[in-house]
Amino acid sequence: MTNRPIKFRILEVYMDGREHWNDEVVGKLQKEYGMTTGYGRDSINFDIIELAAGGMLKEVDVRAASPTLYGKNALLHSYLLTDFGRSRATEIGICRGG
Amino acid sequence: MEDLEVRRKDEHRRRVRIGYLMALFCAVLWGLWYIPGNALWVLNPFDELSAAITATNGEAVALVVTAVLISAFNALTVIIALMLWNGGLGKFREMARTVREFRSCTKWFFLASIFGGPIAILGSFIAMGFVGAAFAAVAALMYPVIGSTLSYYWLGQKISRRAMMGIVVIILGGFSIYAGGLLTDLTSGTASWIGYLGGIMAACGWGIEGAIAGKGLDVSEPDIGITLRFLGENIIWWLVIIPILAIAGFPVYTYAFQVFEPTTLLVLMMAGITFGFCYVAWYKSFPLIGVGRGQGIGNLYGIFAVVFIFLFVGDVPDWTLLLGGGLCIVGSLIMFTEESIELQSLRRDDSAALVAAKESAEGST
Repeated sequence: MTNRPIKFRILEVYMDGREHWNDEVVGKLQKEYGMTTGYGRDSINFDIIELAAGGMLKEVDVRAASPTLYGKNALLHSYLLTDFGRSRATEIGICRGG
Repeated sequence: MEDLEVRRKDEHRRRVRIGYLMALFCAVLWGLWYIPGNALWVLNPFDELSAAITATNGEAVALVVTAVLISAFNALTVIIALMLWNGGLGKFREMARTVREFRSCTKWFFLASIFGGPIAILGSFIAMGFVGAAFAAVAALMYPVIGSTLSYYWLGQKISRRAMMGIVVIILGGFSIYAGGLLTDLTSGTASWIGYLGGIMAACGWGIEGAIAGKGLDVSEPDIGITLRFLGENIIWWLVIIPILAIAGFPVYTYAFQVFEPTTLLVLMMAGITFGFCYVAWYKSFPLIGVGRGQGIGNLYGIFAVVFIFLFVGDVPDWTLLLGGGLCIVGSLIMFTEESIELQSLRRDDSAALVAAKESAEGST
């Protein structure tokens, strides 16, 4: 799947129907795409924020992040794929999660 | 727990603020673009091309053909600026991955390039040539109405009454700025229906572009989306429209090869940088605040263009600039002060897109 764009891969991760914390997804994709720098981490995280803003992911939980990860006062978010997100994912050829 | 909720709201507020800031950057850079954009018309080879075609085909045709060549070179310098930008951000691999997704993603950016490129830009120049510059400016200012209507019905994005009111006030501000010129254009007796058609092309072109790009931006990164959109525009100008003009007998290639003059190249580079980054900011605002709000704030280019041209070129604007500027500020404040938590998701709960999604999800279970 790493030959597909990052937002496609994020949707695929959430297609399993489970809740995932953003830092777990970011860490997973950093390894897969070889984006191990702080810039790579923030770039993937921002993709998740855009997907949530676009109504494809829904925030279901929130907790304080370690200050060393995303800076002081940062939060971690747990997201779930919305029906609209599932429909968009299917449209772009993502059939199952993982 | 209360502290978490406060911080959560702060995060959303920050996200929405970044979106508005991006749309504002777009407006400032779009306004700045008018300086090199206007200067190109009096530089070689564009002025010589215009003079040559005026002698054979008349002023209006000369304006449109010259506009095509300027737009083509503008698109070329924009794509150079965007490639450097993406190279700096290390996004070439992601770009290659996105290009390969033609049916799911890239096709939307190519479609956007047809509406935002030849349809909107040519329409704007046709309106300028056959009615007048002020009419062209006012017609283009209508594009957020088309963009927000389409993003509401087609993309299912939220447009609150407050946001719509802000957009309308900014449009009225733009109308006021160009009011004097608009009256002159409409009462001169020389306006033709082709010019009005051009105005409709400009408003619809940029409005539709935003909505279509929004569909591609759902699943791709804005820096890459905008580069693919300009790749499409370059293909249209250089591989379709310029060859058609050459076949029709216009000496576009002869003059295109004369572009390598230091001043012309410098001004073209300035145009490429301002236009390129104006579009980067525009596309970056869409996923954060929605197409309608991004376009509404982007519309402030109307006032920035007049102010920058006054500062750099010395064209004194009409007194209506003050009224228009005041309305633009009021319209922006109406939008900026909207409660940001309402924009946690830009998608409407009752949108057709969501309803269709729910139906398809129910059907598959």
